[in-house]
Amino acid sequence: MTIRNAIRDHGQRYRPRMACLQKAEKVLLEMQDPRTGVKSQPQRLVITTIPHAITGEDIIAWLADRFQIDTQEARSFGSMLVALGYIYPLQDHKRLLIKPDASLYRFQTPYFWPTQQWPVEDTDYAIYLAKRNIRKKGILELHEQEQYNRLHKWMNHKWDFIVMQAKEQYRAAKERKKPDRVVFECQERAYWVVHRPPPGTVSAMDYGLERRIDPNADETKTPDFYERIMIFTQQSIMRPRVKSSVSIGALVKYCTTYNSHDPFLSKCLPSNPWLTDDVTFWTLNRLNVEVPSKMRVERWTFSFGELLSDPRGRDDFRLFLKKEFSSENLAFWESCEDLKWGTAATMREKAEQIYKTFLARGAPRWINIDGKTMEITVNGLRHPHRYVLDAAQTHIYMLMKKDKYGRYIKSPVFKDTMKKAICPEEHKFSDAQLEQNAKNRRPSLSPIILRQQELEQRAKMAANAPVDITQLCRFTTPVPHLAVYSGITDSPSLAFPAPSPACPSPISVALDSTSACERRLEADERKPEALGPVRGPVSKSRMALSLRRLLKRGCTPATMFASLSPKCHSAAGTSSRIQPISPDEPSQAPPRRIGNFFQIKVDIPPECRIYPIESEDEDEANRSASRGGVGTKEIICPWESLTPHNGTG
Amino acid sequence: MPLVNNKVGDDSTVGKDKALADGEALVDSLIKVVACYRHLASCVGSCTDSLQLRDELRQTREKAQKLAVAICHHLTSHLRNKSLPEEQRKEMELLWVAFSSSLELLHVDMCKVFKMGDIFSLADTGTLVQTGLQGGSSEVAARALSIPDLNQAQPPALPAGLESQEQSTLEQEISQIDHMIDDMEMKVNVLRWMVEPHGPQYADPLSSTDSASLALLSMDEERPGHQPLCQRSHIFVLLLLFAVVFVAATLSVCIFLFS
Repeated sequence: MTIRNAIRDHGQRYRPRMACLQKAEKVLLEMQDPRTGVKSQPQRLVITTIPHAITGEDIIAWLADRFQIDTQEARSFGSMLVALGYIYPLQDHKRLLIKPDASLYRFQTPYFWPTQQWPVEDTDYAIYLAKRNIRKKGILELHEQEQYNRLHKWMNHKWDFIVMQAKEQYRAAKERKKPDRVVFECQERAYWVVHRPPPGTVSAMDYGLERRIDPNADETKTPDFYERIMIFTQQSIMRPRVKSSVSIGALVKYCTTYNSHDPFLSKCLPSNPWLTDDVTFWTLNRLNVEVPSKMRVERWTFSFGELLSDPRGRDDFRLFLKKEFSSENLAFWESCEDLKWGTAATMREKAEQIYKTFLARGAPRWINIDGKTMEITVNGLRHPHRYVLDAAQTHIYMLMKKDKYGRYIKSPVFKDTMKKAICPEEHKFSDAQLEQNAKNRRPSLSPIILRQQELEQRAKMAANAPVDITQLCRFTTPVPHLAVYSGITDSPSLAFPAPSPACPSPISVALDSTSACERRLEADERKPEALGPVRGPVSKSRMALSLRRLLKRGCTPATMFASLSPKCHSAAGTSSRIQPISPDEPSQAPPRRIGNFFQIKVDIPPECRIYPIESEDEDEANRSASRGGVGTKEIICPWESLTPHNGTG
Repeated sequence: MPLVNNKVGDDSTVGKDKALADGEALVDSLIKVVACYRHLASCVGSCTDSLQLRDELRQTREKAQKLAVAICHHLTSHLRNKSLPEEQRKEMELLWVAFSSSLELLHVDMCKVFKMGDIFSLADTGTLVQTGLQGGSSEVAARALSIPDLNQAQPPALPAGLESQEQSTLEQEISQIDHMIDDMEMKVNVLRWMVEPHGPQYADPLSSTDSASLALLSMDEERPGHQPLCQRSHIFVLLLLFAVVFVAATLSVCIFLFS
């Protein structure tokens, strides 16, 4: 059909989610059938009678009978037909719903049906308002008046035409017989109540943005169409398949788990805001509310993903991890998410930041991932992109899920939260109260404000980020010129002293004893032996595992830290904690060591492991390395060129 | 509508005034025809839809198209005339805007009629929607065609083949109007935001008798729940009247008897 609609549509005209219109039309045609449809009766007015009026109860009865549904559903269906504009009420024409009593309705003429193809035009509305103005002699309703003025401003150039057309239509209407005139006016009025609803009413024609193609039209079979079908079927074949028993089992499990949490399927405490217009439910379930509700806490126990995706749950988990001194995992995961979802411009610096904070040797919040993953990540960081940290992130996620999550659920933190969680009472509103609520509807906070609050919160959290105590020892004291500890603890770090003597942490106790073994280390390079005496006190501490790791690492690179960079000697000297290791002694041994640990070039020969894990420590100790040349370095990001004293950018 | 108030002028302006007046008359009648067409179109698919209605639609449409073509030529030729004085040009542009708007309305109505004609075939009268309309629309068509009465020359029973022929003609005419609109836009450049209307913002209310009766109707339409009350009040008024008449009658009888 080459017929084009007059209004120059530049694309996008079809209303999405209005596929119901065609179905409603079919139902309506059945309904209006004089033999099998709804019983009609004449409507008596003072002067005349008009046929084909139907009562609300008849409509509901017919629908219930035709579709074999119960009365409540038939009533909703009928209300939908009225709201869409296929049937209009004769009394109380502004409220578009079906009343299950003897109130009268009539079928709308097909010219005024809400079809997909013809959008509702403002010109027509202007003409209608002008006509109404003529008829009511200048007394329009307030919203109509406002609309009229607005249209007069926007369609000023056509205004003569509109007024003339209104007059002509009015005169043409007078040619008709009185009952027909009344009917036509009712039809038109009903049409405009549907499409230009008075303020404060809910319109069924709210459908969002319009679409370019008609979802109800058949698609023409062009080669493109067939190609799309082919691609789709090929991809379907390639999809991995799961046994239906498994997938159905998963679906059933999901449904049974979430059934009581779904506000559509089960009751929503205190009350569903969409039904009662009361927003207590939303205020109680805000993202960062102090006391969560019981249902929300219960949802956290379903899976780790649920816990993390709920900000309140994440806060709780973070608290728990802080108590366990492993909050770097969650912080790393969150930073990775930030990288993934952030803007492309900031990606590079974010990646660097994350590397320095979490992944580098001696980073303040070093996370524990295995060597292979670390290798992949560091390789990828040469050209950072959005998903470069995916492997590491997955590793940490799994770690948290398998280990920490279980402990969290059993922990006192969680139990405490669960005890404090509130279970609100159900609201019982009377009809009058419901109407009152509907009148008091207010818009919620603007999303701009919410976003600002979110950013503020994030900044506050970043400023107060805990520095993980496991990583701190005198050897990883932040040295000013090392630009490693950027971001998280900038100023505090500079002023931050090495762990004070008063600090009762068992770490320092343990670490004190390492100083003794260090010299021995330098001497005979036998790590396992050196750590022997340390193992005792270490095992007593809570953080046995991480400490041991730290110590294995901390010994040699820490000294490297302190002594390697030429400018640092003074700093090292001033710190009373640095044991009297003579600067000369390590200077020969270190270069070789550095070769093992710090030669972070990308094309590393395979036998050199960058980040030793526990099993590999021994190998390193035995390595006769001459990787020379790197010399004294600060921590550098592996993708930057290895020039001496290169400021870590 | 803009008034032609320069009656005095030389021949050229008189000629141009005549052109303007002609144009105005044509546009007015087109607007009238389009309004009537809309009324007729609103009956399509309803229970009063019949061959007669379709015929009336056809006639109205043909008239509208004739007028449209005439106006198109008229206005295009004048607006492309570079020597047109400024005032005349403004008036012409107003007419042009009115013309294009009515053409658009006509186009939409024709498309709707076409689509509905497809769906609501006259062969199956059961599907025609019971909308409450009773009467015919012949008066409206008569008004459109500017003839006092519409004689029903054709017999109402026509072969079904005519319907599909009718549809295809309609299709052609719609595309014709499409082209006309396109042509118009191509040939004449009227800046719509420069056009200023003359008329008032509010249409003058027409003579009170017309609107009053209609207002009464609408009032009843909106509150038929009050019908019993109205009826009761009517009965009361009638009773009162009768009482007064009765009293007057008795008084006159008394006077007659006593005088």
